[in-house]
Amino acid sequence: MTFSDTSTRQRLAEFVARAAGGHGAVIISLERMSGGAVQENWALDVKLDGELRRWVLRTDAKATVRESLTRAQEFAVLKIAHAAKVLAPEPLFLCNDLAVTGRLFFIMQRLPGVAAGHKVTRDSKLVPDGGSLARELAANLARLHRITPAHAGLGFLPTMLARDCIAHYRSYLDTLSHPYPALEWGLRWCEINAPQHEDTTFIHRDYRTGNYLVHDGHLVGVLDWEFPAFGNPLEDIGWLCARCWRFARPDLAVGGIAGLEDFIAEYEWVSGRQVAPGDLIYWQVMAHLRWAIIALQQLERHLSGTERSLELALTGHIVGQTELEILNLTGAP
Amino acid sequence: MNDRPDARDLLEIARYAFVAEVLPAVPEALRYTALMIANAIAIAQREIAAGDAPLRGEYRRFAGLLSGNAAVPDGDALRAAVEGYNRRLANEIRAGRFDGEERAAMLEHLRRTTEEKLAVSNPKALVDPAGK
Repeated sequence: MTFSDTSTRQRLAEFVARAAGGHGAVIISLERMSGGAVQENWALDVKLDGELRRWVLRTDAKATVRESLTRAQEFAVLKIAHAAKVLAPEPLFLCNDLAVTGRLFFIMQRLPGVAAGHKVTRDSKLVPDGGSLARELAANLARLHRITPAHAGLGFLPTMLARDCIAHYRSYLDTLSHPYPALEWGLRWCEINAPQHEDTTFIHRDYRTGNYLVHDGHLVGVLDWEFPAFGNPLEDIGWLCARCWRFARPDLAVGGIAGLEDFIAEYEWVSGRQVAPGDLIYWQVMAHLRWAIIALQQLERHLSGTERSLELALTGHIVGQTELEILNLTGAP
Repeated sequence: MNDRPDARDLLEIARYAFVAEVLPAVPEALRYTALMIANAIAIAQREIAAGDAPLRGEYRRFAGLLSGNAAVPDGDALRAAVEGYNRRLANEIRAGRFDGEERAAMLEHLRRTTEEKLAVSNPKALVDPAGK
């Protein structure tokens, strides 16, 4: 989508005025933001009844990933998360009318801050106190995990507990022409060590450094609500603490910003849920399995010719790192 | 015979010229792509330099682990044999055949294979700044 033609912009301005209950809206600027291979984000500045509003317009990109939500579902998820006091951009208006821009989209609040993982893990001016930021991430995640399957309006979410994840990843590996014994070992280990009992809550499934905004050292909002499910809340903790999301600081377990102590204590305090060291290792193994599967899906898009791309091609070469991490975590010699 | 220099030398000098002369002049918006190009060439260089030695090593380990023929085949037959062994290992791991006393030998095999793979894909991942 380009939005460059004046008639599209005019229809968008009319939609905004109608949705916001205003008299008139003028689009001041509309520019593509960086990131987002799956969705496009556009920085949208609008003068609504004379007052400047800074928003984000979020719409589908060309490349769609199987498992991601529709824009309407993502909008519903954001509404519920926001109402549960989870730090996230406030969703404002959903447009289901293809006549406006040709694609479904929604508009949300534009939060200040930096998300890029290599900056968040490297820039001590941006994050002067990593422990404090880790505690904010923990409390925010605990609030998110208070949303349960009983919640009305989220019936479209799949349920993915440990054994569901194992079955799902195996079924994907079975579609490939090439075998991955190290990943099979990780899956077998997860099967042998699967938890007897699991809590089931709303989980974000991409809660990690690179996907949250930091401003003046504080967490201001979590982004990328495309892959949520109902599942084991420990999965989100394993994902955030997995080696693959530590960027410049592989020595700092919590997303490359802090050690575990600050995060786990705060999460346990706010959630009332215990996180045993064994749970953490289990879900770190599962995180690397999931990342390997996603990497293989991206690689297949390149190999199959669906989307020839250097970035997707190189993603195939990170599978070995996830395998090494799985071997390390499962006690290989 | 092809004219010299060969693929190995061409990749080396092409990457050198790219990193020394092109990369510093690349605008910020294209820097990530430029770094990916340099990385892709480096992986290809390491793959060529390693030749089929890693594949032969993997075959020999498989012959021990899965009681196969120790005589290493050549070329396409080697590739097909290793692919077949990997398929068998993947299936047997899933079926639980390596849950018990053969687990240590299987894990040793996977670690060696993974390390050899990373020596081509990303040698930096073999240096562990965080400890295990």
